[in-house]
Amino acid sequence: MPISEQTRDGHLLLQLEGGLTIFQAAELKDELLQALAHAEHRIELNLAAVEEIDSAGVQLLLALKHEAASQQKTVNYSHHSPPVLAAIDLLNLAATLGDPLLIPNAR
Amino acid sequence: MDMDMARDALVQEARELLVAMENALLEIETDGASSEAINAIFRAAHTIKGSAGLFAFDLIVSFTHIVESVLDRVRNGKVQIDDAMLSLLLNCGDYIGALVDAIQNRTENEEPDAARRVVLEKQLGAYLEPPAEAPAAAALTATAKEEGPQQIEGSGGVSSDNWHLSLRFSPDVLRNGLDPLSFLHYLSSMGRIVYLHTLTDNLPPLSQLDAEASYLGFEIDFDSDADRAKIESVFDFVREDSQIRILPPHSKIDEYISLIALMPDPGRLGDILVRGGALTEVELEQALQQQQGQEIGQKPLGAMLIEQQLVPEPVVSAALSRQKQNEEKKSHEQKFIKVEVSKLDQLIDLVGELVIAGAGANLIANRKKDAQFEEATQAISVLVEHIRDAALTLRMVPIGEVFQRFPRVVRDISRELGKEIELIVTGAETELDKSMVEKLADPLMHIVRNSMDHGIEGTEDRVLAGKSATGMLRLNAYHESGSIVIEVSDDGRGLNREKILAKAIERGLVTPDHNLSEKDIFRLIFEAGFSTAEQVTNLSGRGVGMDVVKKNIESLRGEVEILSQAGQGTTTRIRLPLTLAIIDGFQVMVNDEVFVIPLDLVIECVDLAGHDARHNIVKLRGEPLPFVRLRELFELPPIQHNRESLVVVQFGQQRAGLVVDRLLGEFQAVIKPLGSLFSGIKSISGSTILGDGRVALILDVPHLVQQTAQQQHSLTQSAVAGLLTNNKTTER
Amino acid sequence: MGKTILIVDDSFSMRQTVGIALKGAGYDVVEASDGKDALSKLDGRKYNLIISDVNMPNMDGISFVKAAKLLPNYKFTPIIMLTTEGDETKKQEGKAAGVRAWVLKPFQPPILLDAVSKLVMP
Repeated sequence: MPISEQTRDGHLLLQLEGGLTIFQAAELKDELLQALAHAEHRIELNLAAVEEIDSAGVQLLLALKHEAASQQKTVNYSHHSPPVLAAIDLLNLAATLGDPLLIPNAR
Repeated sequence: MDMDMARDALVQEARELLVAMENALLEIETDGASSEAINAIFRAAHTIKGSAGLFAFDLIVSFTHIVESVLDRVRNGKVQIDDAMLSLLLNCGDYIGALVDAIQNRTENEEPDAARRVVLEKQLGAYLEPPAEAPAAAALTATAKEEGPQQIEGSGGVSSDNWHLSLRFSPDVLRNGLDPLSFLHYLSSMGRIVYLHTLTDNLPPLSQLDAEASYLGFEIDFDSDADRAKIESVFDFVREDSQIRILPPHSKIDEYISLIALMPDPGRLGDILVRGGALTEVELEQALQQQQGQEIGQKPLGAMLIEQQLVPEPVVSAALSRQKQNEEKKSHEQKFIKVEVSKLDQLIDLVGELVIAGAGANLIANRKKDAQFEEATQAISVLVEHIRDAALTLRMVPIGEVFQRFPRVVRDISRELGKEIELIVTGAETELDKSMVEKLADPLMHIVRNSMDHGIEGTEDRVLAGKSATGMLRLNAYHESGSIVIEVSDDGRGLNREKILAKAIERGLVTPDHNLSEKDIFRLIFEAGFSTAEQVTNLSGRGVGMDVVKKNIESLRGEVEILSQAGQGTTTRIRLPLTLAIIDGFQVMVNDEVFVIPLDLVIECVDLAGHDARHNIVKLRGEPLPFVRLRELFELPPIQHNRESLVVVQFGQQRAGLVVDRLLGEFQAVIKPLGSLFSGIKSISGSTILGDGRVALILDVPHLVQQTAQQQHSLTQSAVAGLLTNNKTTER
Repeated sequence: MGKTILIVDDSFSMRQTVGIALKGAGYDVVEASDGKDALSKLDGRKYNLIISDVNMPNMDGISFVKAAKLLPNYKFTPIIMLTTEGDETKKQEGKAAGVRAWVLKPFQPPILLDAVSKLVMP
């Protein structure tokens, strides 16, 4: 479940914890949609505490990114946990879901 | 090490299943076929096959497979189960048993009896249909498999050395527990993913996203030495409702054209293919041109659709018409935890130590005369007693475990002897110590064979004697005052006193001038080397006499006796203590020595003074009771004392008195086996450790009772030397 | 993070052998002796995979799977069913319930381990 905290300049910081899998996907989707509506410009999603991720989780992150773009907002993912990094690496999605501050892991 | 354990488990389970199978077969023989019994037989073969398959024990897998196939046809009502089949299946069960033995003996790769197997398989084959559908299905898969190599040789292949995989998973895969991510991960274990592009074209806006549906597609360039079948097999579970296209290295450009055509935006896929190196720029252009040409052409779409079936689903769903199997009824199978016997023994050992330590605490509490302390130790004692009982029941198993092999034995032997014999089993739920169960099997088998062989008459003789044509054999068990009693009874001709006596005299076991009671005469059967059979049949005449039976039973601290009525039948009665580990004991004292008597066997205690006691016979309420002074028995020095107590004990139907100095009361005795030094002393069955650490001897009451009774016998009939007693003492 | 697999089979030796193979591959294993027993073990614990036999007393594998699919914590848990050639009707039922991964008995442990690693990420 995301734990949110507002920071200055309308920059919303969210933290995801536990599983990011099909078991949580439906609920998470609603919460992320809400968070996006709240955010003025930018959301930063901290993935440090994600213990597990599957395809459902990956496509949720992708859909959030697309959705944000269509609303002229930005979503950044940061502090990827090892399982998240492994999935991003396998699916070659570093460019989309990687941390913009890090140089994507060149394969 | 672990796998050895697993192998043992397999052997054990297979044996249990074979017993269940045999019981079900015998049930069908007597009560007719029921779906429950048939299912039980099927499940036995099925489970053994499955478990053996894990180890690749092919001999047993292939054999049980045939048995299972026949049973499957029985289950589906295609074949009727008849007498011949029952016999065949029983024989097959035996052969599976032999194969299981081979597994246990680590010789699973050797056929135990190849000739027998051939015969059985031939008989089984008669119940099977000739395999008609199989070749067609095989051909189907074969053509599917050949596709790969052909394409590699085809002309006009692209230059890429990599496989190309195009994956579109069905929306339902995630809901069905199949995660594309893990399939891709598995794929990567088979080679190197050179390039992977995740297609997100189908991903809807977040608000419309069904978070549990799968939207992603993948284009993968894959470097691997694996063959096509191997790579295809990665997607076995998702193949059915997903589009999986696999292009081998150097595939024809046409293959890529049709691939590109499937994309809503062909240019983009082309781009992906070039980026991953599947196609060169030139090849892509060529492909796009050809594709445009095809679109004007006649039947590109249809051709593409056919090619989409590139990965055929080889599963042939054959038996849809098959009768729907009844929901399985609740079976009698119970839930058990299997525990290694050694662990159980360890627990019992510990409980034994606890009992001793508890007794020590009790002793101290008594000395301290501290009421609270005494109360506390008392409470602990009660709990320890409960724990002891509970721990001991863990070792208790129903005697049915031994009895259950007899229906088959009786069936087979009665056929062999040409006698009609019905087996009645009662008291199968009666429990006894596990260690005894194992040692009981052989003696019981021998007694049963004896009864069938010599006891029960042939049909003609029975009818002539006015009996029912079918002989009756009964196995019975029950608890009686701290013992378990097991009886094997038959309604046969009974023992012939004169014959036994004559034989015993002939063998020099007794002299003709002995005036023996009926009981004594019957007991002669248990003497070494005695055999009443006039003609030795192949069943009982195996050189193992009833003397071995007796020895086995005595080694369990039990006794065996024979009751017989001429013309009416014989009962062999075995009496065993319930457990071998811990007993409730009754402590008595002679001089400074403490002795323990199993409490179950104690009837009463009386003051010896005031009773008429002479020649080791005391009159108790008018009845003579033989007794023995423990002081004399154990040759302890005489002391000055004022009173003696008489402990009356009973074993079986006989009673005896033991004279002691003092009665100390009840005590839980953990039986420790005697060292070999003491094994010659017949009046002692074991030792135990008292609360204060001293050792006390446990009296062998059955032996003492017998001995005193025989002494009495020899006293009252002083003309007859106590031959049996002498015989006994010289025997060992 | 340890991955846990629930193995449901009425055969003790099957559970034990498969259990040893799975443990050897680094998985944690929970055993159940039939569908009913298995259902009682769907008590909130997380399983990364369920391996279930079809033919079992008390509650067969199909009924068990159908029941598991109704539980929020287990409705998407990957399932491998162990089946036999003769189980075609049951297999259709299982497919309707959403089972896609089948392993044909008799099999050797590597076959099952292979299937497991297709469904469970390390």
